[in-house]
Amino acid sequence: MRKTLHILIWVLLAVAGAVSIAVIALHRGEQINAMWLVVAAVCCYALGYRFYSSFIAAKVLVLDAQRATPAERLDNGRDFVPTNKWVVFGHHFAAIAGPGPLVGPVLAAQFGYLPGTLWLLVGAVFGGCVQDFVILLFSVRRDGKSLTEMAREEIGPVGGLIAYAAVISIIVILLGVCALVVVNALKSSPWGTFTIAMTIPIALLMGVYLRRLRPGRVLESSLLGFVLVMLAIWGGKWISQTPSAAHWFTLSATSLALIIIGYGFAASALPVWLLLAPRDYLSTFVKLGTIGLLALGIVALRPTMHMPALTRFIDGTGPVFAGRVFPFAFITIACGAISGFHSLISSGTTPKLIRRETETRMVGYGAMLAESMVAVMATIAACVLQPGVYFAINSPAGIVGQTAENATAVISGWGFPVSALEMHSLAQSVGEQSLFNRTGGAPAFAVGMAHIFSNSIGGQALMAIWYHFAIMFEALFILTVLDAGTRVGRFMLQDALGHVWKPMGRTSWYPSILVTSAMIVASWGYFLWQGVKDPLGGINSLWPLFGIANQLLGIVALCVATTIIIKMGRARYAPVTIAPLAALVLVTFTASWHKVFDANPRIGFLAHARQLSGSSANARLIFNDRLDAFVTGTLIIMVALILVESVGRWMSGERQSQVRESPFVRTRFAEEGQR
Amino acid sequence: MKMIFDTIRGRRLHSTSLTAGPRHTFNAAKLLMAALHEIFDEAAYSRFLTRERAERSRESYAAFLRENEIRVARRPRCC
Repeated sequence: MRKTLHILIWVLLAVAGAVSIAVIALHRGEQINAMWLVVAAVCCYALGYRFYSSFIAAKVLVLDAQRATPAERLDNGRDFVPTNKWVVFGHHFAAIAGPGPLVGPVLAAQFGYLPGTLWLLVGAVFGGCVQDFVILLFSVRRDGKSLTEMAREEIGPVGGLIAYAAVISIIVILLGVCALVVVNALKSSPWGTFTIAMTIPIALLMGVYLRRLRPGRVLESSLLGFVLVMLAIWGGKWISQTPSAAHWFTLSATSLALIIIGYGFAASALPVWLLLAPRDYLSTFVKLGTIGLLALGIVALRPTMHMPALTRFIDGTGPVFAGRVFPFAFITIACGAISGFHSLISSGTTPKLIRRETETRMVGYGAMLAESMVAVMATIAACVLQPGVYFAINSPAGIVGQTAENATAVISGWGFPVSALEMHSLAQSVGEQSLFNRTGGAPAFAVGMAHIFSNSIGGQALMAIWYHFAIMFEALFILTVLDAGTRVGRFMLQDALGHVWKPMGRTSWYPSILVTSAMIVASWGYFLWQGVKDPLGGINSLWPLFGIANQLLGIVALCVATTIIIKMGRARYAPVTIAPLAALVLVTFTASWHKVFDANPRIGFLAHARQLSGSSANARLIFNDRLDAFVTGTLIIMVALILVESVGRWMSGERQSQVRESPFVRTRFAEEGQR
Repeated sequence: MKMIFDTIRGRRLHSTSLTAGPRHTFNAAKLLMAALHEIFDEAAYSRFLTRERAERSRESYAAFLRENEIRVARRPRCC
């Protein structure tokens, strides 16, 4: 009876999921309710978790409940600590969920809600979750080794070197793009700039509070920091309405870029306890709370989505970024579907906390499903906006013109009616002077989120507060990624330079700290500067570059995973990782080809350089285009090499003897469970 | 609700003394707090105090921060 009931529940879930996907995919010409996306996602994720992850756990990875994990064997109370699975789940989710699943789906909404939503559902269940799960398990079976170490040991030295270079490259490009999103969200916005500026003294205050006043009371200090941030948002309104104060916080994109570059350097060189750690805590606190709030808001409001399922821009002429729906939708949405960066977290802190091998399924596969759900919510936030408003916010001046009249005429001409008056009153309701040309995704997401929140709590009167809350939330996320990423990059560079000259490898030696911090900050700072100066808004060039770099890291991770699966003697199940690997190879190699060689100057870097070559005033822009083409080409060549080396390993017939797992030790937790 | 606050304040409660409904709420609140303590490194500090047989103080927290500086600084945050 119980079994029949279970079967019935899963059949009902499958039917509900199929109906929801049919509604999402087949409705044309009329608006649908956002709950169809929520139901489709919940059903797909539940089915994927129950059946597909269970199949991978049992047949492909053969999870062993009797095998002791490194957290148990090497328990030192520091790095290796056996931890409750729900606690590890929360820890892992907090580390993988960043601004990516919010920004990517918002940008991809220019194609309509359908391509992004389908990619999120399919990509997460068959790609991203699988990657996170298998890499986590393989790291657990190798005493918590990192992706680069596993690549070196399992594929070969070339694989290790390329994985290392790919990680550094993705960090640099990621940080440049993230900083650009913040700059575009804060330029000419005294309210937003003031709020974000205040988070720095608030983080410093939290650092001092933690160290001097209430040692170790992190939750308490985070709550205090959150209250202060809310006061800063409230104070920002006063700043924006007081001309003498607003003057100080009304900054151009170039000024903001320079400030952020300076901030990145300071955050990397200052002691961890003073700025980085408290900021990380504050960001996590706000992140977990806001994601929960957004989910509640969507379910409570059940908003209607105004964006059509497919827009005319699937043909590649989109104003947000150029390129056809294939392959560009698939590199624009990385986090939320599949993100190579997650493999760094899955082979970082998390494997050292896993108590039982069987728990890797819930942590690795499950946390990625939760992240994908966040991305679905971001899609909803973007698509509840009127399409005309969405395009007015996200289109660069280089495409729609400098004035409000020009922009609204162009956008209305595309079939998405919007008026200058409508945009003006929307800008006023969110406390901004203008919402035109706010590329980068963050402002559009903030308007959508404010729309959802203000219809749930507080009405239109709180629209401006909610908008700036959303901007603060995203910018805080991004700046945390920025300072943490700069430090991680700095350590990696110090490790590498230490092989050349030993003192450079000493992580506490100040000259080394300053030199390597400057190198990392200068690298991402250059991409940021390039984006700020780009007449097409920067996102058009840099977000695809970031997407390509991120997915290439995913290819590296899946190469490592496939190699290990084959060496384990389970080659017949290798399609589980080969299928997403093949999809990523197809997507990223095609996208890279277009970004480098496409004849359309809005897509191809080299074509754009050729278009600009008539005037010497464009020398810097031409150099930037060639640099972007070079970076894309280099990344592709590196990943092609690791792919070739991996395929060589798969064909060479290496078997179980070459698997470099830690020896089997029986777990005591299994015995506890049996008692 | 009272149980949740008691859990947050760290008062000892035993779920076995509760009926099924409140027990689930209690366990969920306990897990949530444990996750938050882990995410915010409070659990790591508690383990440090136990290991070093130290009291909660400025000095012990400074020592904990020194020990964890590299670990925290090397912890990537995803995009």
